[in-house]
Amino acid sequence: MSAETARAGRRKATKARRVSTVVWHAGIIAVLAIVLYPIVWVVAATFKPSSDIIGSLSLFPTEPTTHNYERAVEGIADISIGRFFWNSTVLAVLSVVGTVASSALAGYAFARLRFRGRGAMFALMISTLLLPFHVLIIPQYAVFQKLDLIDTYVPLLLGKFLATEAFFVFLMVQFMRTIPHELDESAKIDGAGPWGIFWHIILPLARPAIITTAIFTFIWSWNDFFGPLIYLSTPDKYPLPLALQLFVDEASGSDFGALMAMSMLALVPVVLFFLFFQRFLVEGVSTSGLKG
Amino acid sequence: MATVAPTRPAEASGQPAGPRTRVRRSGDGVAGYLFLSPWILGVLLLTIGPMLTSLYLSFTDYSLFTAPEWVGLDNYKRMFDDARWIKSVQVTAIYVAVAVPVKLAAALAVALLLNNKRKGQSFYRAAFYGPSLIGASVSLAIVWKALFTDDAVVDRILRTVGINTGGWAGNPDFSLLMLVLLGAWQLGAPMVIFLAGLKQVPVELHEAAHVDGAGRWRRFRSITLPMISPVVFFNLLLETINAFQVFTSAYIVGGPNGSPAGTTLFYTIYLYDRGFSDFRMGYASAMAWMLLLGVGLITLFLFRTARGWVYYSGDKR
Amino acid sequence: MGVMKRFTTVLAAASLLFAAAACGGDDEAESGPVTLRYSWWGNADRAALVQKAIDLFQTKNANIKVTPSFQEFEAYWQKMATDTAGGNAPDVLQMDFAYLREYAERGVLYDLKKQEGKNLTTSDLLEGLKGAGEVDDGLYAVPVAGNTWGYVYSPAAYAKASVPEPKLGWTWNDYRAAMEKITKSGGGKIYGGGNYIGTYYNLEAQLRQEGGLLYTEDGKLGFDKPRLAKFFNEGKQLIDAKIVLPVEKGVQIKPKFALELDLIAGDLGWDNFMARYAAATKTELKLGPLPSDNPSQLGQYLKPSMLMSVSAKSDHPEESAKLIDFFINDPEAGAILGANRGIPATNAQRAAVKLEGPFAAVAAYEESIKGQLEKAPPAPPKGAGTIEQAFIRVSEELQYGRISVDQAVDQFFTEANETLES
Repeated sequence: MSAETARAGRRKATKARRVSTVVWHAGIIAVLAIVLYPIVWVVAATFKPSSDIIGSLSLFPTEPTTHNYERAVEGIADISIGRFFWNSTVLAVLSVVGTVASSALAGYAFARLRFRGRGAMFALMISTLLLPFHVLIIPQYAVFQKLDLIDTYVPLLLGKFLATEAFFVFLMVQFMRTIPHELDESAKIDGAGPWGIFWHIILPLARPAIITTAIFTFIWSWNDFFGPLIYLSTPDKYPLPLALQLFVDEASGSDFGALMAMSMLALVPVVLFFLFFQRFLVEGVSTSGLKG
Repeated sequence: MATVAPTRPAEASGQPAGPRTRVRRSGDGVAGYLFLSPWILGVLLLTIGPMLTSLYLSFTDYSLFTAPEWVGLDNYKRMFDDARWIKSVQVTAIYVAVAVPVKLAAALAVALLLNNKRKGQSFYRAAFYGPSLIGASVSLAIVWKALFTDDAVVDRILRTVGINTGGWAGNPDFSLLMLVLLGAWQLGAPMVIFLAGLKQVPVELHEAAHVDGAGRWRRFRSITLPMISPVVFFNLLLETINAFQVFTSAYIVGGPNGSPAGTTLFYTIYLYDRGFSDFRMGYASAMAWMLLLGVGLITLFLFRTARGWVYYSGDKR
Repeated sequence: MGVMKRFTTVLAAASLLFAAAACGGDDEAESGPVTLRYSWWGNADRAALVQKAIDLFQTKNANIKVTPSFQEFEAYWQKMATDTAGGNAPDVLQMDFAYLREYAERGVLYDLKKQEGKNLTTSDLLEGLKGAGEVDDGLYAVPVAGNTWGYVYSPAAYAKASVPEPKLGWTWNDYRAAMEKITKSGGGKIYGGGNYIGTYYNLEAQLRQEGGLLYTEDGKLGFDKPRLAKFFNEGKQLIDAKIVLPVEKGVQIKPKFALELDLIAGDLGWDNFMARYAAATKTELKLGPLPSDNPSQLGQYLKPSMLMSVSAKSDHPEESAKLIDFFINDPEAGAILGANRGIPATNAQRAAVKLEGPFAAVAAYEESIKGQLEKAPPAPPKGAGTIEQAFIRVSEELQYGRISVDQAVDQFFTEANETLES
């Protein structure tokens, strides 16, 4: 092949690749436009007067207003929105810490250690995923009532520190099982005990599972409504979802605008949390030392 | 997470071969229980107790304010005669059967689309994850419903292709579909897990097949799918379990009656209505255990059939 | 690994800080001032007003401290059920007429007859509301505000269709004819009304106009299957003649009401919802009388729209009674709360409140039918809430045409009787 044909061939190939790249990007953006449309709608709705939100058909507000955000920031009955944010943050951060720590420990036990009754306990753990929480809440409430812990954050957090979120324990187990045993073995040969293997080998390699756990726990805790409703009575301990409910009321008319504005504000930390951690998610898998 | 890796099957055990001294394996016991101690404490305090209590309550008539009254199997028997219970089982079953495959297929499709080295990966991935972040919120459920009313965007698009259903939110034949789409829309989580699994598929396999003349679809079927089957299984299992427990968005859209005309009466909504609005905690507990039974059987079934199609690479070559 | 380690340390430190914050600060006032827990439902606006009233109460009663708690209506009852089941009910709680008997008969509420005349004065209650919180000879709740069923409509919509506005004495036929005329001339943009079989309060109105009751004195249904079939058939005819708003439309716009979106010319409903309508739509609305086939009987009664109760387990029933007394009788409290809870239940507070806008309309409306406003019937039986929901549900399926009138009647009676018997 002459140099010229080669060059021509290369140019054609680059052009073809560029075209396909453009097509690919265009395609994805088209799909994204459809997928994100409802979210755009919610954001646009926060700038519409409350009465226009249901029943008005246009995406963009005809009379844009910041009233909803002003209302949301006002807070409720002398409690500032900052307070609700703070409460949600405390609950979410502690939930993440507790869940990650306890799930990793339990996951390691199920995935790597051998002890009597492991199979039965694993089955028990999976079965806890299957009962709807509405039914467990009354007996659990009774437990905390006897311990005089109602109207504190303890009922909402204790479970997180005791690995009661089977979803994440399972996630950890599945992930840890794919880490090659050779790594364990070589650590053992170097004299490491179970804790050493856990801390130095398994935990770092389980990073994607840990990140996933952290992200999901944060989101779930941030959005948790029923738990805080049942266990908290003092309004200035309320996290955001409880505060949000107060914008919906049958007899005096719900303030959907303020509800959505406050939801938008409430979303900001979640989005930030996610954006910060998400790059560790998929990247982590490919650098986890699984190949060779 | 059952990501694929060139490793021995997970239960690989056995002493390291060779001239090293044999390591005693039975000593894990204490370590095992130590690591598991938070979980054990949690189970004893917060899970087993309440689970057993709710099992006990399912055999009683319990109105929350007065002591429970033993009624034996009454609640369970009554369920099968209860038209609303039957309806809720139907609605939930249809939802699970439709929503889970749709959601997984969509998540896989998006993951495949994003599984290359083009620029903008991070941004697109985050964008597709957006719905999952906002999906559970009350505001979004309200807006979602609003988008499916007469003359709103969905109705208008359908009418341009000649389909005239009116707003799905008020149409008993389509209301469930609206919720299926809401569920599938939040495909961020399974998508990310699929992406992780896809990245584990060795490129050499694809290249070799390509050289052998295999087309895109053939390669997908024979290489990609089997290699990501553990991830598919994980997603399938968890999405199924979650689908049975849908509550918030369905409640916002359909209310406690499962409007319109009971077509959105999910099992969990009926359970909650019976327990908290009708003060029939005994019956609600019985419903909960029936759910556990049903989902447990399905989970077992999934695990059993998994052996037929889930392929942990490294088993054979 | 370095990143992870740093991350873990920071997180651990942060969590210790947070944990301290979370566990801190829950001190008890020992002896001395009495602390009452008061829970109510409502939105943010109400919370602000009640808090102001509480502050006033505390300045007037230096030894009583009130800890507030509030949620939205539905959430409130979920929480109340759990709290009560756990023995943790607040001292003073807001009570709803539909749940009153449920809670009272289960021994959860304190009999305020023991405090009447001492810490609690009920003599100034409006005639129609006196005794409204009694259940089986005990006083378990005190009404705080009242409302009644009415017809809210848009005079403009009536004028546009050349239909005369509703006047006292108009019959159910007049009502249906008015709706028909408005729908026919509305061109699909506006309907004469919604289908009134959707809720059993309209059935109650008709029954009372015939001299009957929705629930009998001994807690059974006050009507039989043929009577219900007659009622449902009226609704079916409205659908067949295409006179009323199609049911799909009503379902789609929930949680909003059709009247708020100007889809119908008028609707039967609670008169205090005028406030909600006024906030939602720019169309001017008026309150009119209920249609009645019996000229001397409107079938209306003054219903306690909100009550207050004391928990049976409260350690401080006397102070709790004082709080209730303050909330229903004190004119300053009345002025603060205005018409937020509804039209006040005592003469003193009514005089103290300057009613404006929609509330003035409500008060004027109630004044105009004063002669016909009767006392509330006894508190509905246990399970009334469930039965109400069953009615709404069955009616909806009927309106969608998925069941026949006979099936609807059978279904409702089966469910209602099952609830009443349990």
